[in-house]
Amino acid sequence: MTTDRVDIADSGQPLTSGQRATLDIVLNMIVPPSADGRMPGAAEVGVPAYLFAEAPDALPVVCRELEELDRRSRERFARGFAELEEHERKSLIEEMRAREPSFMSRLSMETLACYYQHDRVLEGLGMEARPPYPKGYQVVQGDLSLLEPVRARGKIYRDAP
Amino acid sequence: MTTDVDVLIIGAGASGAALAWSLAETRMRILCLEQGDWVNPADYPSTRRDWEVRMDREFSPNPNVRRRPEDYPINDDDSPISVVNFNGVGGSTILYAAHFPRPHPSDFRVRSLDGVADDWPINYASLEPFYALNDRQMGVAGLAGDPACPPHEPPLPPVPLGLAGETMARGFNALGWHWWPSDTAIATQEYEGRAACVNLGPCKAGCAQGAKGSADITYWPVARRAGVQLRTRCRVREILVDDNDMATGVVYYDERGVEHLQRAEVVVLACNGVGTPRLLLNSRSARFPDGLANRSGLVGKNLMIHPWGMVRGAFDAPLDSHRGPLSCCILSQQFYETDRSRGFVRGYNMQITRGLGPVATARMGVARGDIPWGEGHHEAFARRFGRSIGVGICCEDLPEECNMVTLDPTLTDSNGIPAPKITYRLSENTERMLRHGLERGTEVMKAAGAWDAYGEGPVRQTGWHLLGTARMGEDPERSVVNGWGRSHDVKNLFIVDGSVFVTSGGVNPTPTIQAVALYIADAMKQRLANLFD
Repeated sequence: MTTDRVDIADSGQPLTSGQRATLDIVLNMIVPPSADGRMPGAAEVGVPAYLFAEAPDALPVVCRELEELDRRSRERFARGFAELEEHERKSLIEEMRAREPSFMSRLSMETLACYYQHDRVLEGLGMEARPPYPKGYQVVQGDLSLLEPVRARGKIYRDAP
Repeated sequence: MTTDVDVLIIGAGASGAALAWSLAETRMRILCLEQGDWVNPADYPSTRRDWEVRMDREFSPNPNVRRRPEDYPINDDDSPISVVNFNGVGGSTILYAAHFPRPHPSDFRVRSLDGVADDWPINYASLEPFYALNDRQMGVAGLAGDPACPPHEPPLPPVPLGLAGETMARGFNALGWHWWPSDTAIATQEYEGRAACVNLGPCKAGCAQGAKGSADITYWPVARRAGVQLRTRCRVREILVDDNDMATGVVYYDERGVEHLQRAEVVVLACNGVGTPRLLLNSRSARFPDGLANRSGLVGKNLMIHPWGMVRGAFDAPLDSHRGPLSCCILSQQFYETDRSRGFVRGYNMQITRGLGPVATARMGVARGDIPWGEGHHEAFARRFGRSIGVGICCEDLPEECNMVTLDPTLTDSNGIPAPKITYRLSENTERMLRHGLERGTEVMKAAGAWDAYGEGPVRQTGWHLLGTARMGEDPERSVVNGWGRSHDVKNLFIVDGSVFVTSGGVNPTPTIQAVALYIADAMKQRLANLFD
C-alpha cells in the first residue's frame, strides 16, 4: 500500500490513496449496487466523509484493518488487495472475519448508517428523503371489529380487595 | 443562602411534576431543583435526516453513552440489564415510549393472592381516582372496555393499529388470546394545546410534534403558571437533617459548580428508583450513618427493573411497520395473572412494537447474519424492512434484597458526588417467566404469519423501570416510607417516585408512579395542619 496522502472530499482529513482504494472496494463488498441500478453501491454514498465527520473515533480501527487486509493479501496472493480478483477478495475477507468476527464490523455498522440515510438509497426504497418531522406519516387506523372475540370471552383480571 | 421554601422537590420528572402540579393549589412556596435542563423539541432527532444515528448518541437512553454534563454515570457491570433514563425537565418521560397501561388490582395484593413478596399498604381502588386524573393531565389515548383491566375511559381515541397491529391482532385471535389497543400518553387529537400525533415514529427519542405526553409539556407549564418555581441545572449533593431527625434543606451545585444551601420545611424526593437511593445513601450524618431515612437498612434494596424479552418477526406482506408510534400499538395480557401451571408465579405483559427504521433494520440484520454483505443484501433487507414487528415481554420481577443500588467506591459525577452501582440478577421465577414469554411471543408471531421469528432476553438496554428501592409499608422495620410516602425516620421527608413500589406489576410503571405521586400529594394536602405528627 502506498503512503502518499490525499484529502477526502469535504473532510480535509488524510487517508492514504492505497487505503482509499481498498476502502472503496470493501464498501461495495458490504453493499454492492443493485443489478437493476435502483440502489447505489456503498462506495457511491460518501462513506469516507461520513466517517471523518460523524464517526472519527472509528478511523484508527478502520485504517488499521485496511492495512491488515492489504498485508494479508500480499502474504497470501503476493498482490495488494486492490489487485485481487473478486473471488479472491471475497475469500480473503471471509477467512479474516471467520477468524476474528469483529474484523471490519465497525466499518460495516458505520457504512450501513451512512448508506441508509442517503437520498439515493431512501428514494431507491420508495421513501421520501426527509426527516420524519414535520410532515409525519399516514398509518391506517385498523379494524377494531377484530376485538369482538376478545370482548366475547369477558373479564380476565382478578379482583382484589 | 437562598430564600427558604415550604416544599422542596428534587427532580422534575414524571412524579415530581405531578406532585408539584397537585400541591400548587395550596399556595405554599414550592421549589423544584432539577439537575438537567429544558429540552427544546426542535432539537429532537426526528427533526433531522440523521435521526436514527442521533437516537443512539446524544439522545441515547443510556447515560453512560449519552454523557451529557447533567448526566451521572451508573456502574452496571454487575447487572445483565443497563439502567436507562433521561436527566432534564420531564425526566425519563422525554425518552419514554409513552406506553401507558394500568396495572391490575391483584398487583397490589401479591402476598395475599400468590403468597410471595408483600402487599402494598394501598390498593388499586384507592389509586383509581388518581389514575383517572393523571390520564386527563397527560392526555391518554385508548379504548374503553378492555376485559383485562378494571373499567376506565381514556380521554382520547387509541393510536392507529396500522397493518402491523391488525396482523398481530389476527394472530392473537387465532390462538384465542387476549389483545387490546394500548393505552398511550399520545395525543391522537389536538388536546390541551398539544398538536395531534402525526406518526413520526421515534417517540423514544423525544416528540418534536409535542403529541407525546412528557411531563415538561403536560404538568410543568400549568404548575409554573400556578406559582411553582423550577430551577434547572441544580444537582443536589445531600439532604441535611437537624438533631430532631427533621430535614432542614439540601446542599446543591449550580451549573457553574457553585455550592448552595437551600432550606425547606418539607423535602420531597422524586429522582427515580436509582437517583433517590443514591441521594439518600450520599446523605450520611452522625444520626444517619448508613444513609438518610435508612434505619430499616432497605434504602437501595429490592431493586426491580422488569427484565425485558423481545421477539421479532418478519412477514411476507408489506406492513408499513416502520411508521407510527414505535412502541405503542396493541398489548396482550393473556399471561399477566398468576397461573402456577406455567411454572412460575405472577406474569408478564406483551407489548407489540412496530418495525425499525432503515438504518436499524440494516444494522440489526447484518449483526445477526440475517442480511448478508454483498450478494443478496438488497433482497434480504427488502424482506425485513417495513415487514417486521416486535413483541416486547415485560416481566414482573419480585423484590429481593440482593438486587440493589449502592454507591460506587470510586465512580463520581462531574461534581464529585459518588455515583450509583447496580447489583442485579434474575431470579429463577423471572427466568422461567421470561422463557415462557419468549416462547409465547414466538408462537403468536407464527400464528400471525411470520416467516421468521426469534426471541432474545433479557435485552440489555431496557432498564427503564426503576422500582422498589425505598418501599412503602406500615412497618418501619420492613419499609422506608409509610403508606402515603412519608419517611418513617424523617417526618418531613417524602418519596414519590418508583422507589416506593412494594412490587412491580408487569406493566410500564409511569401511570402508577404518577398516580402514587398524586395520591401522596392529596394525602399531604389533607394533613397540612399535622403533616409531621
